[in-house]
Amino acid sequence: MLSLRILLSRIRAMFEHAKADRELDAEVQSHLDLLAKRFIRQGMSAEEARYKARRQFGGVTQLKEELHERRGFPYVETLWRDVRYAFRQLRNAPAFSSAAVLTLALGIGTNIAVFAVVDAVVFRPLPYPEANRLVAFASWVTRGTPHPDHLSYPNFFDFRSGNQVFEHFVSYRDEEFSVSGRGEAIHVDGEIVSWDLFPVLQVQPELGRGFLSSEETPGTHVAVLSHELWQSYFGGDPAVIGQGATINGRTFTIVGVAPRDFHFPAESPSVQLWTTLAEDAAAPEPYHPLTEQRGARILDVIARLKHGVTVDQARAQMDSIAAALATQYPGENKNHASTYILPELERVVGDSRQSMFVLLAAVFVLLLIACANIANLVMARSVEREREVAVRAAMGASRANVVRQLLMEGLALGFLGSLAGLLLAFACLRIFLPLAGDSIPRISLAAVDRRVLAFSITLALFTSILFSLLPALQAAKVDLVRSLKEGARGITGGGERFRSVLVSGQITLGLMLLCAAGFLIAAFLQLERRDLGFRSDHVLTFNLDLPQGQYNAATGIRFSDELLKRLRALPGVQSAAAGWPLPMQGDQVTISFDMEERRAGPSDRPRSDMAIVTPGYFRTLGIPLLEGRDFTERDDRQAPPVLVVNQAFADKFFHGEHALGKRIEPGATNGGDGTKLHEIIGVVGNAKQSPGGMAPDPIYYFPFKQLSWGLGSIVLRTAVSPRSEESAARAVVASLDRQVPVYQVRTMEELSGKAIANLVF
Amino acid sequence: MPEDKSEVLQGTLDLMVLKTLEALGPLHGYGIARRIEQISEDLFRLNEGTVYASLLRLSQKGWISSKWGASENNRKARFYSLTKAGRKQLSHETANWERVASVIGRLLQVAPQR
Repeated sequence: MLSLRILLSRIRAMFEHAKADRELDAEVQSHLDLLAKRFIRQGMSAEEARYKARRQFGGVTQLKEELHERRGFPYVETLWRDVRYAFRQLRNAPAFSSAAVLTLALGIGTNIAVFAVVDAVVFRPLPYPEANRLVAFASWVTRGTPHPDHLSYPNFFDFRSGNQVFEHFVSYRDEEFSVSGRGEAIHVDGEIVSWDLFPVLQVQPELGRGFLSSEETPGTHVAVLSHELWQSYFGGDPAVIGQGATINGRTFTIVGVAPRDFHFPAESPSVQLWTTLAEDAAAPEPYHPLTEQRGARILDVIARLKHGVTVDQARAQMDSIAAALATQYPGENKNHASTYILPELERVVGDSRQSMFVLLAAVFVLLLIACANIANLVMARSVEREREVAVRAAMGASRANVVRQLLMEGLALGFLGSLAGLLLAFACLRIFLPLAGDSIPRISLAAVDRRVLAFSITLALFTSILFSLLPALQAAKVDLVRSLKEGARGITGGGERFRSVLVSGQITLGLMLLCAAGFLIAAFLQLERRDLGFRSDHVLTFNLDLPQGQYNAATGIRFSDELLKRLRALPGVQSAAAGWPLPMQGDQVTISFDMEERRAGPSDRPRSDMAIVTPGYFRTLGIPLLEGRDFTERDDRQAPPVLVVNQAFADKFFHGEHALGKRIEPGATNGGDGTKLHEIIGVVGNAKQSPGGMAPDPIYYFPFKQLSWGLGSIVLRTAVSPRSEESAARAVVASLDRQVPVYQVRTMEELSGKAIANLVF
Repeated sequence: MPEDKSEVLQGTLDLMVLKTLEALGPLHGYGIARRIEQISEDLFRLNEGTVYASLLRLSQKGWISSKWGASENNRKARFYSLTKAGRKQLSHETANWERVASVIGRLLQVAPQR
């Protein structure tokens, strides 16, 4: 307590040193005067009195020194003097200082920016309470290359009711919704989840409630809105709870609003709406509802381990359930006899972890190079300063003094460099984060926060010491006599050796970075230059939502016929078609099929990507027709079932034989009418379906009128700049139905460019 | 550290300064030196500068406070006065001093035993 008070008074005194000194002077002077006057009154001469007063007072200077020291902190003052001296030295050598500070700023700035990103992506815990008990669950496929797979609803229900290891076991899958009823219809991303999504995350909705277990019953339509959607579309009105909203053409009851900044899945901030799996429990005739299709693997699962249950214990129990299901349903589950569990955070971070650490290592190497560079500069300067150091040593500065002074200069440099680096990091994050898009989960959370600041301070200290300690020790070893002699130049042999180590280290690191960068650029160019198999120029694409409640298969086909007809009639549009999924979009749909010539059981059938397209799709995208014919408007439900395949498909499954005229029986159906043999009527070129990989993926195309799963994306080939057709196309859609939202309007070049950007990042 | 060498003396001086301030109220350094000189009747000589070192020590501990004012001959002077904590410390130190003094007094009075 007492020592604290002394400390405080000393700290205060540090800032009032000059004033305190002046005051003491006045006090002492007045004391001496009074004393002298007294002696004069006793009869002494003025001179004698002054002398005696001084004698009686004692050493004035000693007193001042003593009190001065006792008032403040002498160490701090020396330090402060060193700091000021260091900055003065840097100011006196502007070329050296600015070079060093700029180099450091580059090194430290990139490190800070990358650390901010890595911190947000990899290290930050999930934003839910007790998130360490949250795990992701999947089936484990043992056939071929083992890999995790999604769950189907029937399997999910069996896992959910059969386990005793999870508090909650929740399915979710992406779905897109159109919300209308309050002005323009809008398109939002959403999730279809089992009822206990909010309990599993231990999150309370901000308004209203989460779902009830009874709300999984078919025919229930309930939704929880995100805070953002509630604000933007529903005007932030608390009265929406319990009210109806039009979603996908049906009336849903809004039961809750999620808290601000709540995101689920954690990596998808675009999700604005959650509803229960009752959505999937109903299907228009003749389809089977998804909840009854054991082979329809579309679900992700998040689960919360019970207290005290380990991942291994959970996996053991889930594996035994999976094995039992495989025996019970061999047709669907033969290859899914075990399970896969990993912490939810790891699932969210996913593959990014590795690339993040590679990036971190790369910028760290960059920083080391920067340090080596600066150390070199400092060494070069210490040659010039050898005489100065020698003079200081001759005047009594100890070796520690000299080292301290040089270290201080290093710290001053480090401080300035970090400051500049911090600014650079701010700028980097501001500029580059939007470019990364949504390819890396949680990257948008990256910001310069307290942790990042702490990191930068550590980095500044580390680098300063790194680049100044060795040169400082070197410099302190100067040979006094030799250095003071005029004309004596150059530092000792040890210094030369140190410098050459520095230089070679620098070159090695530099080469490493250069190679890595070269590989990256080469890979990027290869991706760019690769033949996509279609012409991405002059193509506009957009998506639309046909509200399911208002359109069935037949009316959907009528709508698309009319829409494509009107689009083709637009000036500047050469052709129009629809297809799903588009090349390079990143979506892939894989379905197994049975070949007429080589029949196989359900689990052993070959699989391939598929797509559903309208007539004119290949011409619109510039995919060449190699053999046979394109689909026509007459390839509908009444006509014999047909397919078009790409060259890779023909090569892989027909081994050079003519694929044309062969018949296969795909698992994809319109529902009640069962699978049918389809005849291959055409072979087209290999269009790049997935953005990654170099080998073309085999794919087979269905005509939209024979497999009406939904309209997919519209593609327009234009004679003019594709963007200029956007407003005309929107007007055409609105003229058909105002309640159909148009979204994701992009040129094909943007789409493929984005896909490549995702790969590169 | 100079404090180690003259701990007793310093403590004594601090005690004298505190006592003086208690007896005479707010006073400047010169006044304190005069008072100590008068009381000690020249039995005790001190460098008057050390009074100022003592004053700094005491204010750092919060036992005295100071204020600028005018001295008798109308010069600017710093007046020191006892704080509440200082008063408490003084009574504590006084009791302590008396106890030590009485022990030492008794010790010195004991005749050597043969």
